[in-house]
Amino acid sequence: MAKAWGKQIRNWLAKHLELPPDVMMDLPRITMIGQIHIYIENHKGLLAFSDKELRLLLTQGQLLIKGKSFVIKTILPEEILLEGEINQVVFIRE
Amino acid sequence: MKNQWIHYFSGTVTVTATGQGLERLLNTLVRNQISVWNVKWRGPNELIFCVSLADAKKLRPFVRKHKCKILFAKRTGFPFFAKKMLRNSGFLAGALIFMIVIFLLSNMIWKIEIEGAEPATEYKIEKALKEMGVTRGKLQFLTETPESIQHQLTSKIDEITWVGVKLSGTTYHLRVVEKSEPKKKENPGPQNLVAKKKAVIVDMFVEEGEPRVEIHDLVKPGQILVSGEIGKEGETKLVPAKGEIYGEIWYRSDVVLPLESRFQVFSGKEARSRFLQLGKISIPLWSAEKSGFKNFETETSTREFRFLNRRLPFAYVTEIHRESEIITRKYSDQDALKVAREMARRDLQNKLPEDAVIKDEKILHHSNRNGKVYLKILFHVYENIAKEQPIIQGESE
Repeated sequence: MAKAWGKQIRNWLAKHLELPPDVMMDLPRITMIGQIHIYIENHKGLLAFSDKELRLLLTQGQLLIKGKSFVIKTILPEEILLEGEINQVVFIRE
Repeated sequence: MKNQWIHYFSGTVTVTATGQGLERLLNTLVRNQISVWNVKWRGPNELIFCVSLADAKKLRPFVRKHKCKILFAKRTGFPFFAKKMLRNSGFLAGALIFMIVIFLLSNMIWKIEIEGAEPATEYKIEKALKEMGVTRGKLQFLTETPESIQHQLTSKIDEITWVGVKLSGTTYHLRVVEKSEPKKKENPGPQNLVAKKKAVIVDMFVEEGEPRVEIHDLVKPGQILVSGEIGKEGETKLVPAKGEIYGEIWYRSDVVLPLESRFQVFSGKEARSRFLQLGKISIPLWSAEKSGFKNFETETSTREFRFLNRRLPFAYVTEIHRESEIITRKYSDQDALKVAREMARRDLQNKLPEDAVIKDEKILHHSNRNGKVYLKILFHVYENIAKEQPIIQGESE
């Protein structure tokens, strides 16, 4: 009950004080450059990586990226830059 | 995020990791401030990635906690390159020394060829060159330029009228033109002595032949002074007439001398700067103290460097700034007269043969107009007027 309350307050604050929702609500910020680059901030760790698939842990759920010839250009505790041919970006709810 | 350059200097190690749960290994590394980049998938349970050289040493303890193995595959970057170079430093030093030796040898003087000079003159030239420091084995860019050598040789050695100095490759070619004085004919054929100029005879020394004129005679050019035909009428004999006939000649000369004139002279102060020229860019090696000369003239000498037969695109340039001053010279009327007379006299003396004597001078006209001195002088000269004229046989009078 208290968790749901907190979330509602944050949601309200983000809406009415014009604060960026990714900061307020701990959501990932995803930047894509065409099909070739994807830059994800605020992830919670790497779950699976192959040349066709990348699975990232988020605060809520997972992010699944599918495509071809993936290379992780940079990886930092909360950021990741992926290169390759990106075909799908899928959010998976737990 | 570090960029590629920093990675190059710190050194990069490419790591191959095999085993289960490689993603978890990556997470652990990243959370422990080990920067990882270029992660590639090599098949199930195999990844390759790059870490910096400093981080590679910290890898082991993290790997041990996971069920995987790592292998350092490739090492790139400056630290590895330097290590390799150090191992091969002998080769590098050898190559460098070789280049330096070739470079020095290409810029040396190897040969000095003197052409067109007699042995005695050649020896003198060689001696003069030695004094200037132009000898075999000297570096070209430390000796003087061919133009300067040419100039110095011409002024130092009297026997030569002209010398061409050319530097081709490592050889100096000197082409010499010697002063050749016409040899006097030892045994001239029969000849008369005739007058060169219109003059009044003042003195005669006849060695051989029959004089046809007397002192105080006025002679015209071409007139026979001493005949080569001697003996009585009918029994004449032809001889080469010899002798000196001095005639009195008047020369008039006009001189104009400005009372005030401006000259540009060098004050003797100079500032040198040296440059290394690379193509069109000049890199100052030794820049002159800001000379601050108001008026100056610049003299530049460029010495090119050579490598084997090729000219290198750099040169050693010396620039000399000489301070110049403008001096105004002013003559008083009396001084001007004196100088003008001296000038006229010197002018005439240059034109006259060596045995001529200026006996007297008379000022015909002297005026001072528009800041200039005008002078007309009459010179009274004693001069040998005799000229040999061969007698052509069978054409006697």
